[in-house]
Amino acid sequence: MNVFLASAGHEMLSVRRARISHLLLAVFVGMVSVSSIIGWITNATVTSVYEQILAAGLTTAPNPFTSVPALYYARNAVIYVVLIGSLMAIVLGVQATIRDRKAGTTSLILSRPVGTIARLAGQLAGLGAVIAAVLAVSMAISWAAISIIVGEALGPDPTIRLIGFVGCAWTLLMVFASVGMLAGIFSKRESTALLVPFVVWSGLAFVLPQLGTAARPVALLNPVPITVATGGYFDLVAAITAPLAITEQFKRAASILLQDVNVPGSPIGSIAILIAFLLVAVTVVVFVPRQKLRGALND
Amino acid sequence: MTEAAIRTWGLSRSYGPRNAVTELSLEVPRGEVFGLLGHNGAGKTTTVNLLTTLLEPTGGGAEIEGRSVSDDAANVRRSIGYLPENVQFYDSLTLMENLRFFGRLSGIRKPDARIADVLRFLDFPGHENQRLGTFSKGMRQRVGIAQAILHEPSVLFLDEPTSGLDPEGVRMLRETIIKLNGEFGITVFMNTHLLSEVTRTCTSIGILNHGRLVHHGSLAGTLAAFPEEQSLEEIYFQLDPAMAR
Repeated sequence: MNVFLASAGHEMLSVRRARISHLLLAVFVGMVSVSSIIGWITNATVTSVYEQILAAGLTTAPNPFTSVPALYYARNAVIYVVLIGSLMAIVLGVQATIRDRKAGTTSLILSRPVGTIARLAGQLAGLGAVIAAVLAVSMAISWAAISIIVGEALGPDPTIRLIGFVGCAWTLLMVFASVGMLAGIFSKRESTALLVPFVVWSGLAFVLPQLGTAARPVALLNPVPITVATGGYFDLVAAITAPLAITEQFKRAASILLQDVNVPGSPIGSIAILIAFLLVAVTVVVFVPRQKLRGALND
Repeated sequence: MTEAAIRTWGLSRSYGPRNAVTELSLEVPRGEVFGLLGHNGAGKTTTVNLLTTLLEPTGGGAEIEGRSVSDDAANVRRSIGYLPENVQFYDSLTLMENLRFFGRLSGIRKPDARIADVLRFLDFPGHENQRLGTFSKGMRQRVGIAQAILHEPSVLFLDEPTSGLDPEGVRMLRETIIKLNGEFGITVFMNTHLLSEVTRTCTSIGILNHGRLVHHGSLAGTLAAFPEEQSLEEIYFQLDPAMAR
């Protein structure tokens, strides 16, 4: 337990001291925090245009924003988690494991009575705490901003939904942090350690979904995934790739939790896939053989 | 309990076809300061890595305080301290933060009091809140010694401890080793190139030549066994022709 706690505490302290981490965390917190403001500006702009069109007698349709739920304003955060949050998690994960190889402290650590499972699990826990803290701060700001925009404090239901969204985001980011840790252990160079998980992320976030939704690649950039199956081959490819495209699963679960009317159904299946991915990633990380941790860097 | 602090028998380590250490058999009694000599690439660091459980032997075996490095590695790690060559730490963390981390990894729940004792013992107070990135090589070496003895090990492994140190640093390290051995009875196993330091510090020596132990004995016995030679250096060159060339 001592090794686990020492490793977790050391990880949090190291992240706190690293400038690159500060920069990434600040960008992420800033982007997620302003996402609700961006949503509000979008609302105000569309409503203003709508009112002009209405005054000119060009429409009788209702304002599309009249009935949007309060959590609509948090929707932009979904894409920031996928794009910025994932990259932040990868960098934190790579730094966690490559730090000892760069500093030359691996031998010192492994000469202590340290079990590699406790050591790596502790590092993961430290990263998990950092990512949870970052998401919590971002969401607390979002909660306050949305409350101000809608003119009243968010009630229990949207608050619980927001917490659920944070939980999904944490699960997704921990998968990428684990991928980063593995790259930091196995890569021969620091540059490769960063590049490989970025390629994996690109594959999961862009290539896999495109295989399943090739007919509408624009959907990839929307917070709302639309499964397009044009029959036969596309059905088959979509069936195979959909569970593996974890960023799409996250987007689906997050959209449902944030009450997006365009995404029907239950988020349970997507959340289960995210959790399964996390369990596999954590298992692979903590069972890395002891001798692999001693690999020298060629930088 | 065995009398030998360190015992190896047929200890070997190969990397593919290359043998780094070949059938090394030696005993280092408790309380000795043992110096392992040898040319570059003789297998000294590999030997220390095997004894500190960082490497698995490919043949033979070794025991530290009667515990097998292969079958009881966790308990071996509890009983040893280790200072690698060119020791490095986390530069962005302070001295206290670095030592706390290594203390906790060594199983010390509340390491602050012990750290204060060790820094006092090493005559190294006043730097606790200074970041390691600002430390000189000699200061880092003291931190290395501090982390190695925090958990009160019975055997201390030092890999080229004087490498890169200025004369003042070498003197400090020598005094520390003698003090650790004299006051606390810690068995010290050190690799070194500096024969003058071996003469001043070690009670017994071993000489490795291309992974094989070509000589092993007490320093006094070694000097007596070669009455024709004027110094340990001459004995060394006679026993390790690779260096003489």
